[in-house]
Amino acid sequence: MTSERMVDWTDKAACCLVQHAARRTPEPLSARLEEEWLADLAQRRSGFSRLRLGIGCYWATYSIAREQRVATVALARSQLAHTSVAGFTSENATLFSRRTVTFLLVASLHAAVLLGLAVGVGSKFIKKTPTEFVVDHIDKPLPPPIVLPTPPTPDWNTTQIILPEPDVKLTIEPDAPPVGGEVKETPPETQSGTGPSLPPAVTINRVQGGPGIGFPSAHDFYPPSAIRREEQGIATVSACVDVRGRLTSDPKIIHSTGSQRLDEGALTLAVAGSGHYRATTENGKPVDSCYAFRIRFDLKN
Amino acid sequence: MGKEDREVRMSLQTLKVLEAFLENPTDQLSGAEVHQRCKLASGTLYPILLRLEAAGWFVSRWESINPSSAGRPRRRLYRLTPTGLKRASEVFASFNRGVLA
Repeated sequence: MTSERMVDWTDKAACCLVQHAARRTPEPLSARLEEEWLADLAQRRSGFSRLRLGIGCYWATYSIAREQRVATVALARSQLAHTSVAGFTSENATLFSRRTVTFLLVASLHAAVLLGLAVGVGSKFIKKTPTEFVVDHIDKPLPPPIVLPTPPTPDWNTTQIILPEPDVKLTIEPDAPPVGGEVKETPPETQSGTGPSLPPAVTINRVQGGPGIGFPSAHDFYPPSAIRREEQGIATVSACVDVRGRLTSDPKIIHSTGSQRLDEGALTLAVAGSGHYRATTENGKPVDSCYAFRIRFDLKN
Repeated sequence: MGKEDREVRMSLQTLKVLEAFLENPTDQLSGAEVHQRCKLASGTLYPILLRLEAAGWFVSRWESINPSSAGRPRRRLYRLTPTGLKRASEVFASFNRGVLA
């Protein structure tokens, strides 16, 4: 009973495999192959042999289907028999395997792309690309410029003059006492010092003047006689100048060069430079003043 | 499948099938009988039969019996065509060429 059931099972499985395999084949062959394979299946004696036939038929469908596709492609190309390639195809259908077909498809795709580039499809795309760049102005206020504070220029000629304390002591008498009232003597304010309190010292920022812009050069007033004698020296001249830089009195030689000719040239230079002196300033205001400055007579210059 | 004479890719299995038919070229063999002669698996045998038939080397027809009276389904019988006989003979002759008997 068990062997009969096994035979029945293998017969049914083999029959199902054959029928299913035959239906997987292309349509013109499926009915024929089903009947043919079932007839061959009936001739097999053992159940195992029938099962092998069913499996083999299932496997055969892959080969049959592949060859059927190749034959279909070959038939389609044989219709183009007037071309040499198609004629070769019809005579050698087996040469056009799947790889050859793929190669032909890729080659045709490349040819289409090259043809498109040659015709000008590419130029249309190129024309679409913008050739000019448009700059959009953004109406946005610019941030305020950063202004760095200019550092104060140091004035190297500044001298601080501290005035001495005044020698005059002023005593302020108190006002008369009110009439009809008792006068209360207020005790003097005790101070921690030995003497009376001093007024605070007044500081004056004084900048001494001197030869300014446009003052003549010593070379122009070098006495020719002193040049011939090759006399050189430095003369110190005192000059009194008003607020506009002009001499208010005759300049004087404070320190001689040792040469009368050079001293005369120094005085002539000092007089010629009237109006070009820089006035002395106190707290930034020009004032009349007298100061000394030196004039160098040097043949090397 | 066309019936024109066409080149067939020769393999050892194809030669076995042709050899089975060349034993008696006039015989009509079914797939089961070819299987018994050349001992090829059905997955290999049937594609070869179809390929040779498409190449024009074989022709096939249904067995002329009444399945109900015979008690079995009709078989598909294959037979060598004159072209197939000629081409198969050439193929085997080319294999024997230069070989000392």
